[in-house]
Amino acid sequence: MARIELNHVTKRWGGFYAVDDLDLLIEDNAFVTLLGPSGCGKTTTLRMIAGLETPTTGRITIDDTVVFDSDAGINVPANKRRVGFLFQNYALWPNMTVYQNIAFGLSNIKEAGLSVSKEGEIVRNPSAGGAERKLTKEEIDRIVARVSAIVKIQPFMDRYPGELSGGQQQRVAIARTLAPGPRVLFMDEPLSNLDAKLRLEMRSELQRLHLSTGSTFVYVTHDQMEAMTLATRICLISNGVLQQYDEPLTVYNRPNNTFVADFVGNPAINFINAKGAQQADGSFSLKLLDQYDATFVPGEEVRVDDWFAKANAEIAAFAAKERPTEKTNKDEPFKYPVARVSDEGVRDETPGREDWVLGVRPEFVRISEDGPVEGEIFSAMPTGMETTVRIRVGNYLLTGVVFGGVLYKIGQKVRLSFEGAGTTLFSRENGRLIACGTLKIK
Amino acid sequence: MTTASANRISGFHRTWNRFKTYISKPQNAILLMLGILLTITTIFPMYTIVRDTVRIHPGSIDTQGKALESQVDALGTTLTTYNWSNLFTETITTRVGRERVTRSVASIYLWTPLLNSVLISIFACFGAILYGGVFAYLVTRTNLKYKKYLSSIFIFPYIMPQWTLAVMWQNLFNSNAVTGGNDGLFVALFNVYMPRWWCEGIFPVSVVLAIHYAPFAYILIGGIFRNMDANLEEAATILNTPRWKTFFRVTLPLVKPAILSTVLLVFSSAMGSYPIPHYLKLSTLSTQYVGMSTNRAGQASILAVIMMLFGFLILIVNQKTTSGRKNFTTVTGKSGQSSVVNLGPAKYAISILFVLLTLFTGILPIILFAVETFLPNPGDYSFITHGIAGHTTTKWWLTSENVTENGMYGQKGILYNADIWNAFAGTFFVAICCALAAGIIGTLIGYCVSKNRRSKWAAYVNNMAFLPYLMPSLAVGVAFFIFGSGAGIYNTFLLLILAGTVKYIPFASRSALNSMMQLSGEIEEAAIIQNIPWWKRMTRIIIPIQKTSIISGFLLPFMTCLRELTLFMLLCGQGKIITTMLGYFDEMGLYAFSSGINLILIILILLFNTLVNKLTGASIDSGIGGDS
Repeated sequence: MARIELNHVTKRWGGFYAVDDLDLLIEDNAFVTLLGPSGCGKTTTLRMIAGLETPTTGRITIDDTVVFDSDAGINVPANKRRVGFLFQNYALWPNMTVYQNIAFGLSNIKEAGLSVSKEGEIVRNPSAGGAERKLTKEEIDRIVARVSAIVKIQPFMDRYPGELSGGQQQRVAIARTLAPGPRVLFMDEPLSNLDAKLRLEMRSELQRLHLSTGSTFVYVTHDQMEAMTLATRICLISNGVLQQYDEPLTVYNRPNNTFVADFVGNPAINFINAKGAQQADGSFSLKLLDQYDATFVPGEEVRVDDWFAKANAEIAAFAAKERPTEKTNKDEPFKYPVARVSDEGVRDETPGREDWVLGVRPEFVRISEDGPVEGEIFSAMPTGMETTVRIRVGNYLLTGVVFGGVLYKIGQKVRLSFEGAGTTLFSRENGRLIACGTLKIK
Repeated sequence: MTTASANRISGFHRTWNRFKTYISKPQNAILLMLGILLTITTIFPMYTIVRDTVRIHPGSIDTQGKALESQVDALGTTLTTYNWSNLFTETITTRVGRERVTRSVASIYLWTPLLNSVLISIFACFGAILYGGVFAYLVTRTNLKYKKYLSSIFIFPYIMPQWTLAVMWQNLFNSNAVTGGNDGLFVALFNVYMPRWWCEGIFPVSVVLAIHYAPFAYILIGGIFRNMDANLEEAATILNTPRWKTFFRVTLPLVKPAILSTVLLVFSSAMGSYPIPHYLKLSTLSTQYVGMSTNRAGQASILAVIMMLFGFLILIVNQKTTSGRKNFTTVTGKSGQSSVVNLGPAKYAISILFVLLTLFTGILPIILFAVETFLPNPGDYSFITHGIAGHTTTKWWLTSENVTENGMYGQKGILYNADIWNAFAGTFFVAICCALAAGIIGTLIGYCVSKNRRSKWAAYVNNMAFLPYLMPSLAVGVAFFIFGSGAGIYNTFLLLILAGTVKYIPFASRSALNSMMQLSGEIEEAAIIQNIPWWKRMTRIIIPIQKTSIISGFLLPFMTCLRELTLFMLLCGQGKIITTMLGYFDEMGLYAFSSGINLILIILILLFNTLVNKLTGASIDSGIGGDS
């Protein structure tokens, strides 16, 4: 139905860059989530595409229509972009009944070649010609009946929004958004006001809705779980800058940098600082957790010198970008958290070329009798299906997930190893991903 | 819509596109128009006052004669510094008893009135905040009895015409022996002669102003007390803070903004008040302006300029204080009002005290005005003092023909007096027009400004609309008087409506802005996305949701207009509207007529207030007090 393209879109207030030079291509029929911590610019991005916010510079295209172009001075207002928008607080009109809320927008449609199918679907065929006309009362009834059936709110048609529960209000808002048949559906944290159980239910309904409407969905959330489960692609933003735009599992398995690695995944990834150098065979011999020698074997061929040259060139290009004003919200390397029992005596050192950081997902921390690393259980949180354990190794804490309801005693001695080929290696200097690979403790 | 290929475009075209985009948003187009309009209606009359101070007036040529004329001839100009220089240099010699006293013009016409104006404004602020603030605290924070009754009657003095209490003060305390004229009720009933300082001058003016403006303090401070999260105080209580310390360190700082806005409002209103110092015989900038305006027109304008400067000063202070970090006006909370202070046995004593006080300020004036209209002669209370029922009359109401005897001076009784009813009709006409114009413009400003919060232009328009609020009424009146005389619309309804609209737009824009700010922008955006046109968004969504506060945006100008004197008295002849008509009857000594008119006016205003309150839920004291 619709394809959206953003070219060099920037939104700033004075020196504050809410969105910084964003390029994004949203394919037709995609379900894209804009993900990031609060205040990162994801809602601003969404509102700019919808036309509720005006970008400072850049160009936005929906299908083949340029809806915004700062160079040409084009700015198609939101009402002419034919998009749907689901607001975080639903924005239902409190003075209208559920029926009126849904029908109000429909009573305004005035187009040529308009017809409504028996099922209540709007069919637009402008090339068919004919005079512009409005929808009849009966047609509106049919459309309202269809959309209210989709979200199952038929019993409430005469109620006012104030008389509905949060979940019901949410459904009304969805019905209202769907009614005029928008080509794109924008959603701004639509589930954040619902309780946990309802959220799970609505999540699966949204997925069904995406399938049945065939519209393009753009979805803003700060909940990485929502993004992982719903999206066909995740667009991760931090400080107004695009961090990664990939399919959910790619984002999870091959995070572009330490920020992405930390933001996605629950429980969060383990960061382990390491020191060492690349060997002639391509592997890295490292010293980590104060006492262990290890080897990291990259899953793909990578030469550190070439890699640094390329990364530094990119960083320099980003810094050299022309800006009308200085960016006050500075782009600083992400300060990834390293879990320790005590932060006493930890100094902030400037990392050099010898410094690396390893990212180990909790599911790759394996507790086994013959593991090379020795530790003790710091805390254990069984949920029934799995158990999340924190293991103390020296002054460090590692998080692991053990499948099944295994009971651990706090203080119990365990041995562990790192398994699988999914360990990630980042440069400590710039936080970027160097390679995925296997970590072996000697 | 343009296709992607057409992105190479000339600079002019781009600017034009941008302008089109900007203006295609209704709020921008309206702001642009209103900004220009308000600049003209607000700034231009002010400019005319300033210009008036350097113009040559017929009066000054008469007094100065040749000297000035030759100056005009020599310079070939119509501008002069005479008004300024004369005001500060001339002296006047008068006889006081046997001695001849020489005083400078500036001290009689400028310094004394200025000092008096500032003093009464300061006293009025203190009084209003003390009386209104204590009352607000008692109503919202304690278990005071009769809250509902007290809350509605407390604002009576503000709803009633300004001079009501001043006239009542006279009726109560004046005596032939001390002040001259008729004996008041105190003399008639108790034979008590109050001293002159009690009857006239700074003391009664300050007291009456304070009582009149105390409802401001009550509404503003009470609003914060009511919305303040009780948790804030409870948090202090949990930490074992003594109650007085909690009050001074937590509660009071939170109401500071409300106190400040009360101070600013009361100060500027008191400064520009004409009727109260007029009745209670105090020389202030406003009474002096009226007194000297005929033969010292240019110099009177200087007084007006000074009042205007106070207005600007207040506006600046207002800007400084409301934009600071310590602006807690939005302190609201979820927790219910739970921390009610128990007054203990004092509860009834305090309640009774306030019932009596409000009877004195709210009910007594109405009774006195009513009684006044049945007295055969002003101040003749013989039907009470001697118990003679026959010593009352209905002639002031019922005389239906022209008679010159009976002290009627050829006037028909109030019920048959066409002049009075015409003046009432005029007042209603002006009030309705002002309310509609001010209400619509104010609502639009509130809407547009809330949509363009970051825009400097929106802030400018908002300030322009707000400026007349802080300008003393008389200064605004003077500005429109000079402006209207120049434009040839003196003594027309048009001028009255224009002045009233400009002065009262702030009422509407404030209440509209406050309510629009609370309305989440998404409510309207949900409609924009669905391509619902602007007027439909306004009429079907925004106005219905905010109807209560929008109605009060119309109601406040209407009510204020009904009883406005200071603003209008310079702009029209005495028969045009009812409040100026009052002055006419007072000058004629027909106090029964003015009392009757006052009575009708007060009752009408109270009726309207109740009616609108019942119909829409909107009211001046909007929801403060009385749920117990």
